Amino acid sequence: MRIMRIFRHLETILATLLIGGFLSATLARLAPGFGADEQELDSRLSAESIRQIRESHAQERNILHFYFNYLKRAIHGDLGTSRSLGKPVRQLIADRLPITVRLCGLGLLVGWTVGLALAIAVVMAQVRVLDVFAAGLAGTFLSLPAAVLALLFVYFNAPASLAISSIVFPKVFSFSRNLLAQSYGLPHIITARAKGLGSARIFGWHVLPVAGPQMLALAGVSVSMALGAAIPVEALCGISGIGQLAWQAALGRDLSLLVTVTVLVTVVTLAANTGSDLAMDIFRGQQA
Amino acid sequence: MKRRSILAFLIFVLVLTRVLSYAQSGDELRFYLRSDPKTFNPLLVADDASETIRYLTGGVLVRVNRQTQQLQPELATAWKLSKDGKSISFNLREHVYFSDGTPFSAQDVAYTVQHLMDPAVHSPTGDSFRSGSGEVRTDVPSPNRITISFPAPVAGMDKLFDHVAVLSSRSPKQEMAVLGPFYVADYKSGSYVLLKRNPNYWKRDSAGRQLPYLNSIRMDIQSNRDIEELKFRRGEIDLVNSLDSEYYDRLASTSAKLLHDAGPSLDSEQMWFNQVGNAPIPAYKKEWFRSTNFRRAISLGINRADLCRVVFALHARPAVGPVSPANKFWFNTKLQPQSFDPASALRFLQQDGFRREGSTLRDRDGHPVEFSIITNSGNKYRERMTTMIQLDLGNLGIHVNVVTLDFPSLIERITQSFNYEAALLGLVNDDLDPNAQMNVWLSSAENHQWNPSEKSPETNWEAEIDRLMRAQPDEGAGVGH
Repeated sequence: MRIMRIFRHLETILATLLIGGFLSATLARLAPGFGADEQELDSRLSAESIRQIRESHAQERNILHFYFNYLKRAIHGDLGTSRSLGKPVRQLIADRLPITVRLCGLGLLVGWTVGLALAIAVVMAQVRVLDVFAAGLAGTFLSLPAAVLALLFVYFNAPASLAISSIVFPKVFSFSRNLLAQSYGLPHIITARAKGLGSARIFGWHVLPVAGPQMLALAGVSVSMALGAAIPVEALCGISGIGQLAWQAALGRDLSLLVTVTVLVTVVTLAANTGSDLAMDIFRGQQA
Repeated sequence: MKRRSILAFLIFVLVLTRVLSYAQSGDELRFYLRSDPKTFNPLLVADDASETIRYLTGGVLVRVNRQTQQLQPELATAWKLSKDGKSISFNLREHVYFSDGTPFSAQDVAYTVQHLMDPAVHSPTGDSFRSGSGEVRTDVPSPNRITISFPAPVAGMDKLFDHVAVLSSRSPKQEMAVLGPFYVADYKSGSYVLLKRNPNYWKRDSAGRQLPYLNSIRMDIQSNRDIEELKFRRGEIDLVNSLDSEYYDRLASTSAKLLHDAGPSLDSEQMWFNQVGNAPIPAYKKEWFRSTNFRRAISLGINRADLCRVVFALHARPAVGPVSPANKFWFNTKLQPQSFDPASALRFLQQDGFRREGSTLRDRDGHPVEFSIITNSGNKYRERMTTMIQLDLGNLGIHVNVVTLDFPSLIERITQSFNYEAALLGLVNDDLDPNAQMNVWLSSAENHQWNPSEKSPETNWEAEIDRLMRAQPDEGAGVGH
């Protein structure tokens, strides 16, 4: 049964990838300025060279033809060459993926640690001042656009991964706080507290099993949240990761690069969500 | 068309104390590249980052001294241009080796020129030499002599070799074997380029010590200029290449000693009207844009001095033409910039039947005079310039709409769809000789922005420019060293 579920997830991922890749290629193809190359303004270039530059875009004009060829090449590991950066897309991804993984990984770790710790502290301590302070802090970060946060971190020379944490933490805090508060309000937990059960035991044995599955769902969502935040953070902080690459690909109407980055981000997002879905299944299975 | 040469100063802002002491990083110089170099092949260089790498790694036959603008011998000890301007002979330096130890000879120059001029390569540097169709010949009478013959005269041919970094014909490392002071030791896409001292570099200082003095140059890739400024202030980088006026003044207010104003650049900012015959704009607007009186009136109606003062904080000066005052040979010091004269502007407009009705200027058919200026978004100086032009022309009763577009959209409009009315952009100039801009000035050229690829010159003044530009290559022969 679980294997069937995994297969169904894989089917969904594959279909989403194919459709997502095609949609991103179509959007880039239809964007104004597609096929225009900055190099055309080079006053040294002869008419023949300019004609050649324009012709080099010809193969990308028919989007179906492009996408079919892209997929055919991708099966053999060739993701094409980035027009704006002049390098193989595969090499660009290989060079930059580890940077984004590190950035987002650290950002998620810190964001979750701070958000969850604060939520637990607020719910367990039930001190009004702490609740107001934590809610105010999370609200402040929540209301700041990712770009502003990125610039603040640049200004204060702070690690960019903390900018990702600052984007993830308020959402983790708000969601966890509400979830934990709800769980602590359940009758059997109130009874357990009334009977004098230790707070650690209540949290581990009664609260966590109730809140756990939804927390796992949030974990999946937070990965795409971090990836989304990586685009402005990397672009503004000058970090050469996948987020910056996505930004450059969009600005340069770089079809091969844009499709690959879109597919990659979709894979990571879907994999994270699938992972949390499966983890929830396992979690619930164990509870049952 | 209005032109504005900008004193946008500066090739380099040197932090003299840091450059001299290299306190941060021993004998390593550090600065930022604004983008990834697109290529390390010196023949294919088209972007600034690749140009920087080529300048630091490439060995050239002759070098234009950036300060004196005179040609200096490098790998060539002497050279001679033929009287017909079609060929050039070089005597080459002996006992020179590429960074990987491969010896340098005239065969390498011949190999480089053949690759450079290969039509399939589409080298922007090679295209600068292309003045006529036909084969480029290289004759190598001895390992240290070479004659290069072009099918037609090439204007400023000797200076063009400043951009031709010689490739090795024998090295297995191909373009990574270099003759310049540094070689590319490491590169990580999007992160950095590390150059190391070329142990075989031929040049020595007056004391006989082998150059360069530096052991390495690290260029991190950083497109954010605010970060660059911040890192410079913190001493994490040693120099900033090409400052804008705002950034310059900010640094000057706090760290004036660190700055060196290198004077005007060769670049200019210009505005032009779309005069393309089949452009998708109303016919009556095309008529305005093609009128010399209309264009002259617009030029007179723009206060260039104000633009320089407000937008560029006096780090720019009104242009007198397409040639920058930085160009010592071609700049005519007797010329005066176009004055700001709204009264004369209105007189020119009246000659074409334009009239003021209240605060609106109308053409002879009653159309209100209104047009849009497109420029690239994100360039705050151009955005401010268009806003000031909007105000200036508003005083003449002309309604100007400012449209900012991202670069690909802008390029598409000015090169393919021609769906625009006026544009404000900059002309980047790498070369002192106007011949390098042949593809801008010739009416038949693709980069003749206001009306590209004319089958025959559509105006008398364009025909005259064509004639002069074509006559120029025939002018000169010369001898160096």
